[in-house]
Amino acid sequence: MKVLQVIDQAYRTTTEEQDDTILWLTQSMRGAGGDLMVLLSGHGVHYAISRERQPALTLGTWRQTQPAELPRDIANLVESGVPVYAIQDDLEERGLGGLALQNGVRPVARRAVAELYEQADQVWHW
Amino acid sequence: MSHYLFIQSQDPFTETRTHHQFDLIGQLHDAGHQVAVLLVQNGVTPARRGAKSDLFDDLLLWGVTVRADQFALAQREIDHADLKDQIGVADMDLVIDAMLAGHKVIWH
Amino acid sequence: MSDTKTLTFAFMEPPFESERTVTFFRLLDAALDRGAGVRVFAYEGAVALAFARQQPHGNAVHHRDSEEEDHPLTKDWIAALQEKARSKGIGFEWINCGLCVDERGVNDVIEGCGRGGPPDLWRYASEAHNTLTIGTR
Repeated sequence: MKVLQVIDQAYRTTTEEQDDTILWLTQSMRGAGGDLMVLLSGHGVHYAISRERQPALTLGTWRQTQPAELPRDIANLVESGVPVYAIQDDLEERGLGGLALQNGVRPVARRAVAELYEQADQVWHW
Repeated sequence: MSHYLFIQSQDPFTETRTHHQFDLIGQLHDAGHQVAVLLVQNGVTPARRGAKSDLFDDLLLWGVTVRADQFALAQREIDHADLKDQIGVADMDLVIDAMLAGHKVIWH
Repeated sequence: MSDTKTLTFAFMEPPFESERTVTFFRLLDAALDRGAGVRVFAYEGAVALAFARQQPHGNAVHHRDSEEEDHPLTKDWIAALQEKARSKGIGFEWINCGLCVDERGVNDVIEGCGRGGPPDLWRYASEAHNTLTIGTR
């Protein structure tokens, strides 16, 4: 069974969870043998061009020491054999069209997303 | 040919993402797949006769099967007669039947 | 659940926040009506749906005490669905993401709700006839 994970949001709880929860879920399921693909859409395309670790939060005397490492998480997925796609049109909408994608992330035109849906047995839209 | 059921909880009045969601539904429909949409929660709001959303009305124009959740309609005091032509009323069993039939059921 | 088809649901919404919660529970109920076994993977805020210390309360604005107000609690909805599944002789399983439970301190869950992780979601999905995921926003 092949599942397409559609990540349509970004930065929802990346500060307090120290990762994106669906990227994390996907990595963990991949480790359990899951046959998965990832489609970054909407604000999720920001992850495709992410280069740096997330900023560390400071509140009063509390200081975050382990902020999220989104580039690492994307790289881990690609290295583990999970195809990662980002919708080119969504990148361009957000002024990100001219930026280089992370190694291994494949751009996909919005008009081709339907074909991607057809490649999966199930589509999990988050 | 595949069967798709989209559970549409987002509405075009508050969520700009619905624009692309409806486009995708149209693309799958145009590609010859059986595509249905169940409107739930505030997703039912463009279904009311007189509601102004060209994006939503295009779904009907394209011939996509659209149903609206009876519970969400009742909450908003929308009767069947208040709905735009072509929109039927359904309940959660529509989703379960689609899942049991092996259709691709996707939450928007 | 050998003779029945099983459906898996992954859900992320915490209780008392969103319309999604009601839709999600109605889906589970409808699945049982169709005779389908149900498996739930509760992720992130959804782990609090089964929190055993949820308490009903009265409501002064409604002019009702606790008994009269009869406030809905998601732990009771889960218990009601468990009971319905039992009466129909079909399966109803519920796994909370353990890490999500720990960080929220909602370890005290009602009977019949277990603890696990993403590999359980993959196992549930792999064994099920179909799976629906409902995220949060």
